[in-house]
Amino acid sequence: MATLADLMKALPEPQETTPRAGTPAVLAELSLRPVPVGRLRRMGLLGSLQTKIAAAYVFYWIRGWFKSAADKERLLAETHWRTAVRLLDSMSYLRGATMKAGQMLGNLPDIIPAEFVEALERLHFDAPPMHWSLLREMVCNELGDDPENRFTSFDKRAFAAASLGQVHRAELKTGQDAAVKIQYPGIARTINEDFRNLFLFMLPAHLSADWENTREQFEDLRTRLDRETDYLREAATLQKARSLFRDDEGIVIPKVFPEYSTQRILTMERLEGMHLEQFLANNPSQEVRNEYARKMLRAWYRMLYTGRMLYADFHPGNFIFMEDGRLGIIDFGCMVELDETLWELFRKMDRPLTTGRRDDRVAVMKEWSSIGDDPADADRLRVTDEYADWSWNARYCGGEYDFGDEADFRRGIDLFLEMVRKRYSRALPSTPMMARQHFGWWAMLYRLKAKVAITPIAEEEVRATGWDRRDYAPVIA
Amino acid sequence: MRVSAQTKAATRDRILQAARQLLAEKGYEAMTTRGIADAAAIANGTLFNYFATKEAIIACLASEAIAESMKKADANDRIGESLEEDLFAVIALGLRNLKPLRKHMPVLLETCLSPLAVSVSDESTSLRVNQLEAVESLARKHGFGPLSATALQLYWTLYIGLLMFWASDKSPKQEDTLALMDDSLNMFVGWLRTEMPDDPTAIKPKGVSPWPPSQTS
Repeated sequence: MATLADLMKALPEPQETTPRAGTPAVLAELSLRPVPVGRLRRMGLLGSLQTKIAAAYVFYWIRGWFKSAADKERLLAETHWRTAVRLLDSMSYLRGATMKAGQMLGNLPDIIPAEFVEALERLHFDAPPMHWSLLREMVCNELGDDPENRFTSFDKRAFAAASLGQVHRAELKTGQDAAVKIQYPGIARTINEDFRNLFLFMLPAHLSADWENTREQFEDLRTRLDRETDYLREAATLQKARSLFRDDEGIVIPKVFPEYSTQRILTMERLEGMHLEQFLANNPSQEVRNEYARKMLRAWYRMLYTGRMLYADFHPGNFIFMEDGRLGIIDFGCMVELDETLWELFRKMDRPLTTGRRDDRVAVMKEWSSIGDDPADADRLRVTDEYADWSWNARYCGGEYDFGDEADFRRGIDLFLEMVRKRYSRALPSTPMMARQHFGWWAMLYRLKAKVAITPIAEEEVRATGWDRRDYAPVIA
Repeated sequence: MRVSAQTKAATRDRILQAARQLLAEKGYEAMTTRGIADAAAIANGTLFNYFATKEAIIACLASEAIAESMKKADANDRIGESLEEDLFAVIALGLRNLKPLRKHMPVLLETCLSPLAVSVSDESTSLRVNQLEAVESLARKHGFGPLSATALQLYWTLYIGLLMFWASDKSPKQEDTLALMDDSLNMFVGWLRTEMPDDPTAIKPKGVSPWPPSQTS
């Protein structure tokens, strides 16, 4: 079973940090700890960390973590990874958030050591389970009776760890196979409290020029994580997403069983199949991999253009490679509903995405990242544009795109790091989420070594928006 | 006329049943021994042959609720994967049975369940002894030797602490209590593991010692 201690082992020893006494053993135990409730105690845990700066890392997600890697000094970067992981681990009672971070890191295979990624991947599926007695109480509390009575059968062992809980196989009274996701007790409120605490630790950052922007991004993350703990909300999203696909499209989103679902328990249809690693281990052909990649892209665009929501949780654990070639998508806790602002932004982005023209791109980037015409902003504009060009090229290049090209993927990461290093990350609050989901799905396609043409899929799907695209759409055949 | 054991037991049950009902209807404060006697259709004096005080009745109700959970836990042959899991199950079952009494827990905790309550009633002693015997038996099943007096004392303190927390837990469906139980039991069993293997100074009690020790012994 992978623990955070395994992750720590996968990293080289830091050069200049002061390790806590007995760290490995403490870490091994920490990952097995339950979720404590109570602010003072958590403040104590946080306070035991060596640096306040490290605290700022964590919920500064991408920005904080990439700051050091941008120096291209691998060792230094890894020292920082270690600090970040250690910090996360001190909060590992907060299993959900820790795993969330782990899952995001796991999506970026090339900038962190391979062993680290492997350990993280195991973490997705092998997180320490709640024992049966605790589960039984949770089920009884939430569904009104013991699992033995409420279900025909209920596996005592979790078959998967969810970001904020764990998932069990069960058979409903109706005979249907189900996956029952159960949340760790108290975790929802714990997250809220932690954000408040972290906010206090970030006080020194209040003085920086970008503070207001950081605060907004921070708040955005808090809201999203908060939503993720509401399984009823996730159930509603699942139902909405499911309704977007026809049976013959080979994209399966599990059915929800509302009578077995509450805010803390989500019961849905169980999808049988393999996860990414297992799938790749069987050496699937290029065409098979491409076909799955097309389905992923189709699903992502459908949810975006028809469902007006972003699937922001691209990590291997959320995709099921089903035997009959269908693609199962699970875990809808991290869906982002597009509000009018974001929707309008996507509408505006459609033009550069379609034409691939620099002028179109710059116009949108200026608005998104609040870049003015001041000459001082020239470099900012250049880097931002290069990053946008890298991000969107696959869409407007028209032909097949090789997502398995490591140099290309690295170029994107480097550009992103450059933006972060130069503090060009000022943007709308949802930027961390956008970057996360973008790198997330790119990393999935990279790992599939997919060679696919995005344009035809995107063009088919974008029609659902009803946008008037007459003056630019024809540019690309 | 001698009262048969059977009649005695039936009367005792009637009293407890009446108390349960009055507790639910009127609450602890408004409930009187006279009221209970009336509801049980017995003379007031007769009630005192069974229970000296109102507190003793409540203690008995709590004790029965917990004993019931012990019986269930005992009847369950399945041993969990860890002592933590099994202890959790016993306490959780107890809480389920105590649920109707939850809002009266402060009274119980001040009286029969108080760590300071030494001889309020036989009920409080038996409640403690039963609980600790169950802990001992579970520990044995999981390969632990006899528990030291310190271990039992620590467990009892944790247990009472959990009940206190639960009584005033305002989290939805008292989910925080579950997290706390899990945490406390991991801590307790973790300590037990480091304590048990070779501690020659540990006091090995004969059977289960009631805690706190009787003042007269």
